[in-house]
Amino acid sequence: MDFNWNDEQLAFRATVHNFIKDNLPENWEHIAHGPASKEQTVFAKEFCGALAEAGLLVPHWPVEWGGQDADPWKAFILAEEMWMAGEPRGGQYMNVNWIGPTLMLFGSPAQQQQYIPPMARGETLWCQGFSEPESGSDLASLRTRAERKGDKYIINGQKIWTSYAGDADTCFCLARTSQGKGGISIFLIPMTTPGITVREIPSIIGEGDIHEVFFDDVEVAETARLGEEGQAWDIVGKALSLERVGIPRFALATTTLHRAVSLLKDQNRFTAGVIEQAAKAKAACEAARLYSYQIIDQRVKNIPTGAEASVGRYATVICERLVSEFVVEHVPEAISGENPMLLAHHQRGIVAGIASGAAEIQLNLIATQYLELPREPR
Amino acid sequence: MDFTLNEDQLAVAGEIDKLAAQFKSSPVDFHGFALYSAELDKQLEDNQFFDIAAMPEMGPLAAALAVERLAQLPYTAEVALSMLLRPALNIELPRPIAVIENGRPGRFVGVAKTLIIIDGDSVGIAHPQAGDTQAIPESLFAYPMAKLVGKLDVQLLSESEADIVRTWLRVACAAEMAGLLKAAIDATVEHISVRKQFGRPLGTLQALRHRMAECAVLAGGVRWLALKAAWSADAGDAALAALHAQESASRVIYDVHQMSGAMGMTLEMDLHLWTYRMKALMSELGGRSGQAEAAGKYCF
Repeated sequence: MDFNWNDEQLAFRATVHNFIKDNLPENWEHIAHGPASKEQTVFAKEFCGALAEAGLLVPHWPVEWGGQDADPWKAFILAEEMWMAGEPRGGQYMNVNWIGPTLMLFGSPAQQQQYIPPMARGETLWCQGFSEPESGSDLASLRTRAERKGDKYIINGQKIWTSYAGDADTCFCLARTSQGKGGISIFLIPMTTPGITVREIPSIIGEGDIHEVFFDDVEVAETARLGEEGQAWDIVGKALSLERVGIPRFALATTTLHRAVSLLKDQNRFTAGVIEQAAKAKAACEAARLYSYQIIDQRVKNIPTGAEASVGRYATVICERLVSEFVVEHVPEAISGENPMLLAHHQRGIVAGIASGAAEIQLNLIATQYLELPREPR
Repeated sequence: MDFTLNEDQLAVAGEIDKLAAQFKSSPVDFHGFALYSAELDKQLEDNQFFDIAAMPEMGPLAAALAVERLAQLPYTAEVALSMLLRPALNIELPRPIAVIENGRPGRFVGVAKTLIIIDGDSVGIAHPQAGDTQAIPESLFAYPMAKLVGKLDVQLLSESEADIVRTWLRVACAAEMAGLLKAAIDATVEHISVRKQFGRPLGTLQALRHRMAECAVLAGGVRWLALKAAWSADAGDAALAALHAQESASRVIYDVHQMSGAMGMTLEMDLHLWTYRMKALMSELGGRSGQAEAAGKYCF
C-alpha cells in the first residue's frame, strides 16, 4: 500500500491539465453553468474534437477503437481533471465512460462501426432512456413497450428526467419486449426517428438538463436492438460495472470548496466557525477521493469490486452535500449568479445522490453486501 | 497508488492478528470499563511491534495498520503513541507514553514512563515517578485513566518538535478511532442481525439498515484518511484524519448505542469498551474545533 502517483501518471495529469488550460475559452465560466445547456453542448463538440486529436478523449479504449489501451488510472485522472475544470466534455463523458465500452462488448459489428468511431472523434452526444414516470429506482418495472413486427419493432411509451435528450443524437433506450425483469431489451435509437418528441422540463439543475421523451409508434429496425431480446439487465449490469466508481464528483467539490474559501479569505470572513465547516467538508472530500482510488486500484488489478463501489459512491454524496451547503451558507451570492463556477457546482451537486441510482439504493446494497445484515422481507 | 497491502504489510497484519487472537474475548466476569491488559503490552513489546514504524521496510503506515487492528480488541494497552509518535521524534521516549492536555486526566497516565504535557500552545515532555500520578478507577472512559498530582520537571519542546508531536498524536487518534469504529459497528451489526422484534431481526428494518450503512461509510473513510496521514506524515492530512475521526465518532457512537438499545447499556455487551474509548479520543487536541483549526491552517 502506498499513496504515490508514479512519474507517468504525474506527467499524464500535467498533460491533461495543460490541455484544458489551453483550450478553455475566456468565457468558459459562463458556458459551464448548468451541465447540459445548449452553449455547453455546442462547445463540448468542439472541445471533445480537440481532445480526440490530442489523444486525450478515449485513451483507455482499445487501440482498434482509437484508444491507447491506457489503464483505469489514466481514465480516472482524465475524469478528475475534467470535473475540476467544470466538465467541458458535457454529456460526452457518458460515451467515453460506459456507452462506447458497452457497445464494444455487446454491439453488432454494424452497430460498432456506426456508433463507436463518432464517439472516439468527439462528435456525438447520447442520452440514456432509463427512467420512466412510474419507474425510477425500481427500473425493472418500466413500461415502454417494443412490439415486434416482422424485422422491426414498434416502440411506444415515455421516458422522463432524461439528461441531454434535447441535443442528443442517439438514445440508449430500455424497452419491454416481454413481461418480467427478463423481458427488457436495449435499443439504440436515433433521436431524429419519427414519433420521438422531446420536451424540456424546467429544473433547478439548469437549462437543458432534463427532459420528457415520448415514443409514439416509433419504428426501429431489428438491427437497432443491442444484444439479444431480454438481455438488458445483463448489459446494464455490465455497463454500470464499467462506471462503478461513478464520476469523480469529489474533484469538483474540492475545487469548489477551495474557491469558496479563497473568496472568504479575501473578505476576511474565513473565521473559526466557517473554518470548522470547511475542514469537515474537506475531510469528507478526501475520504471520497481515497475510496474512489481504492476502486480504481481494484479495477487495475482485476479484483472484483463488490459493495465497496456503493460505499465510495455514498462517501461522494456526503462530500457533495457538505460542500454545497458550505457555499449556500457562506457564499450565498453564488446561488444568485455572482459566481458561475460555484453555481455550476451547486447545480451539478444537486443530482449527486439521485443520478445513476438513488443513494438510498446504495445504502441498501451496503447493508446487505458490505455489512451482511439480513435482507429486508419482500 | 496501491491500495492493497504489500508482502511486508501483510506479514505485519498477519502477525498482529495472530497475537491479537488471544485477546479477542473479554472475560465473562468482567463488568467494568478499563479492560487493560499488561500481557498484551508485554507480548507486543517482546515481539518488537512497537518498533515497526522505524523499520525501513515497514514504516508508519504498517504501524497505523497495526494500531487500527489492535484497537478492535476488547482489551486495551498503550499502543498508538508508542507505535506512531515515538519513532517520529529524535528524542528517547521510554514507553508507555501518555498525554496530559491542559491539566486534565489522561489515558494510560498511571502506567506511562513518558508524559507529553500539552498546555495551550506549548508541548513538553516529562517522566513521572511513583506518586506523581493518581488513578481514577471510577472513570467511564474505557481506558485506565489517571491524573497528575506531582510537580514534574517538564522539558519544553521546540515549535517544530511540538508540531511533529501534534501531527502524530492526530494520526494515532485517527488510526485508533478507525479500529474502534469498526469494532463498535461489527458488534452492533451482530446484535441487530439476531435480535428479533415484530417477528424479524432488527437488521431487516430499513430505518436501521440505512443508518448502519452510513456509519460504515464514515468508519471506512476514517481508516483511509488515517492510513494516508501515516504514510504522508503531513500535518494537513493528520488534521483531516483526526477531524473526520472525531466527527464520525460523534455520529456512530449515538447510532450504535441507539440500535443496541438496553443491551448496549449493559456492561456485558462490550459495546461500551469501544464507544467509551471513542468518547475519550473525541476530546483530544481540542476536539473537532481543534482539528478544524489545524486543518484550516494547513489545508486552505
